[in-house]
Amino acid sequence: MVAFHPNENRLNDKPGDPGYEENLAAFEARIARGDKVEPGDWMPDGYRQQLIRLIHVHANSEICGALPEGTWIPHAPSLKRKLALVAKVQDEVGHGQLLYRAAETLGKSREEMIDELIEGKAKYSNVFHYPAETWADVCVIAWLIDAAAIVNQRMMAEGSYGPYARALKRICYEEAFHLTHGYDMCISLATGSKFQRDMLQAAINRWWKPIMMFHGPSDKESKHTEQLMRWGIKLRTNDEQRQEFLKKYLPKMFNLGLTVPAEWNMKFDESTKTWTYTEPDWSEFVSVVRGNGPVSANRLETRRLSHEQGRWVREALSAAAGGRPVPMPPAEAAV
Amino acid sequence: MPTETPLVEMKLDSETRPAVIDLLYRMADDGLIIGHRNSEWTGIGPIMEEDIAFSSVAQDKMGHALAFYNLLHEMGEPDPDQIVFCRSAAQYRCCSLVVLENFTPDAPALGPDLSNNPTRDRLVAHGDWALSLVRQFFFSEADAVRMAALAESSYAPIANIARKIRGEIKYHTMHGRGMMKHMGAASDDTRGRIQMEIDRLWPHALGIFEPTKYDKVLAAAAVTPVEEELCRRWRGDVEPLLESAGFSIPLNAKPCHGGRSGKHPPEMVSLLADLQKVARLDPGAKW
Amino acid sequence: MTDTQWPIYEVFHQSARGEPHVHVGSVHAPDGDMAVLMAKEQFARRQACVNLWVVPMEAIVSTPYEDADMFEHGTDKSYREAFGYETTKRAKAVGDTADI
Repeated sequence: MVAFHPNENRLNDKPGDPGYEENLAAFEARIARGDKVEPGDWMPDGYRQQLIRLIHVHANSEICGALPEGTWIPHAPSLKRKLALVAKVQDEVGHGQLLYRAAETLGKSREEMIDELIEGKAKYSNVFHYPAETWADVCVIAWLIDAAAIVNQRMMAEGSYGPYARALKRICYEEAFHLTHGYDMCISLATGSKFQRDMLQAAINRWWKPIMMFHGPSDKESKHTEQLMRWGIKLRTNDEQRQEFLKKYLPKMFNLGLTVPAEWNMKFDESTKTWTYTEPDWSEFVSVVRGNGPVSANRLETRRLSHEQGRWVREALSAAAGGRPVPMPPAEAAV
Repeated sequence: MPTETPLVEMKLDSETRPAVIDLLYRMADDGLIIGHRNSEWTGIGPIMEEDIAFSSVAQDKMGHALAFYNLLHEMGEPDPDQIVFCRSAAQYRCCSLVVLENFTPDAPALGPDLSNNPTRDRLVAHGDWALSLVRQFFFSEADAVRMAALAESSYAPIANIARKIRGEIKYHTMHGRGMMKHMGAASDDTRGRIQMEIDRLWPHALGIFEPTKYDKVLAAAAVTPVEEELCRRWRGDVEPLLESAGFSIPLNAKPCHGGRSGKHPPEMVSLLADLQKVARLDPGAKW
Repeated sequence: MTDTQWPIYEVFHQSARGEPHVHVGSVHAPDGDMAVLMAKEQFARRQACVNLWVVPMEAIVSTPYEDADMFEHGTDKSYREAFGYETTKRAKAVGDTADI
């Protein structure tokens, strides 16, 4: 029997190690059968590191995603919108909590992950490097960015790593509320006064580029995709996800009388049943997620300050509870 | 489960009606404003788990406010959004405790420029979570006392709401008591921080129970006990809790009154500017 | 710097009386009492719930996944199951037509 320290099975998990190729073949056969990988299973170190990277980025995106909307909580223009927005931002923190926990099962502590985020060593979604300038930005984030995220998360929920898939099932369930709430807010603005309609269109104009970039670089440029797909971490390419999003949501936007800025040249190609568009400048995407977006520095500073502001609370309660140490699996391979 | 007597609806008359309306405004405004203050922390709380828990308390309080505003609307007052987004500070009936900013008095007036919400930026850099915790602890205990009394109110619509929300308030008091107990068992530095907030907030907490000209009418009609009696019950709960956690009770504090007649601390103005910012961009629009 | 994120408690959620407690996730909390308060809002703020358990993560002892083959049946174990028998047919043959 083993203690519930799920990631100690790290023997010979790198290329060149004795038996690695045989273990890898058995591992890949398991994934091909549709079996889930669980903490404690032998897994290639590359799989572990890719998942940690991916889940960490996802978790960071949730708690950084709480910031642009969180700043608008005090300004929500009706009681029901206010309640829903607080609940939504709360869910994002909750999703961060679930995701950091899923990453922890692979052997990285939450403290470490949060430190890496605030030190600028870990990434988060491109869309949260942009400011939410008006209430309509909150509506667009809640509708279209959550819609784009759901496309991605529904796919990832079918992925091969058990704890991540389990977290994502719960997250997708809650995202359904976010999407409804976002669509409802956009319908209100789109069917409201001229001031409101203009505000919404202006927000769409600002957000269309980050939205088009949300699913990541075009398949031609994405370096991780091939391996992630072989290991069942990712089941569809970035472009496939982007197309699914566009096919479902562009008609809904047009139906509300909204438009996409002309320079995108969005056209539906009947022969391939896909949307064509002016390819975004992917070097800009890379630069933004590396921390050079319009408000990247502010986001990290906000996270850093709130982390430091909260330290005394965390330490006070730890001390009061007798300071039970935080048990984490060893960071290095336990042989 | 507490056994509760069936409700027999009291009929309002020209004397009790304005008194009940005033009581509803006081409770609803308290819930809205403390919910607003607590929700300023959502997304930037001290740790994820507590961020979530504290946000739920904020949502619950705004939900209670909405229930009371809905009842007011049924009684002929404006709809809840008009009440919340179209009134001026002087028309609000909340107590000073809920209005206070989430800062110590010596906090810098501005935080770094991190977003288009200066209140939030200031909170991120200089927010005082100890104040928010002690405030919520005091208020939850007051809520528990008030709702226990109102569950037996002669005015059935109020008693119905009180009975429905008591479960949520039970969680609020469990949360507040758990936190205060732990804070009392922490370092001297932490205890000092919390004691400072207890001392500073105590007069405001006593102000929750500011007497109004309607007290006698409401008590005579068995709608609610007088505020002085509720305050006595609150002290009966809170003082032993504080003492058992190792905190001291401020002596000779003068209750901070005025909120129930529309006289608020100066920060009520900036609070409403934040709260009503978007709604006032296009009054009459549906959001 | 020291880890300030608190230890992990596993959370078990019971949706109604009569139902089993089901593992739904974990919370970081300073102790069991606070873990319950934290778990309530992280895991029961939407779903129906009548009871929560929290257990320190390290209190759980688990079988290793690599030994999962010990749960597989090496020989026919159908004698443990009702479907492993043809008794309805045989009971009828001896004149018992009621449910067995």
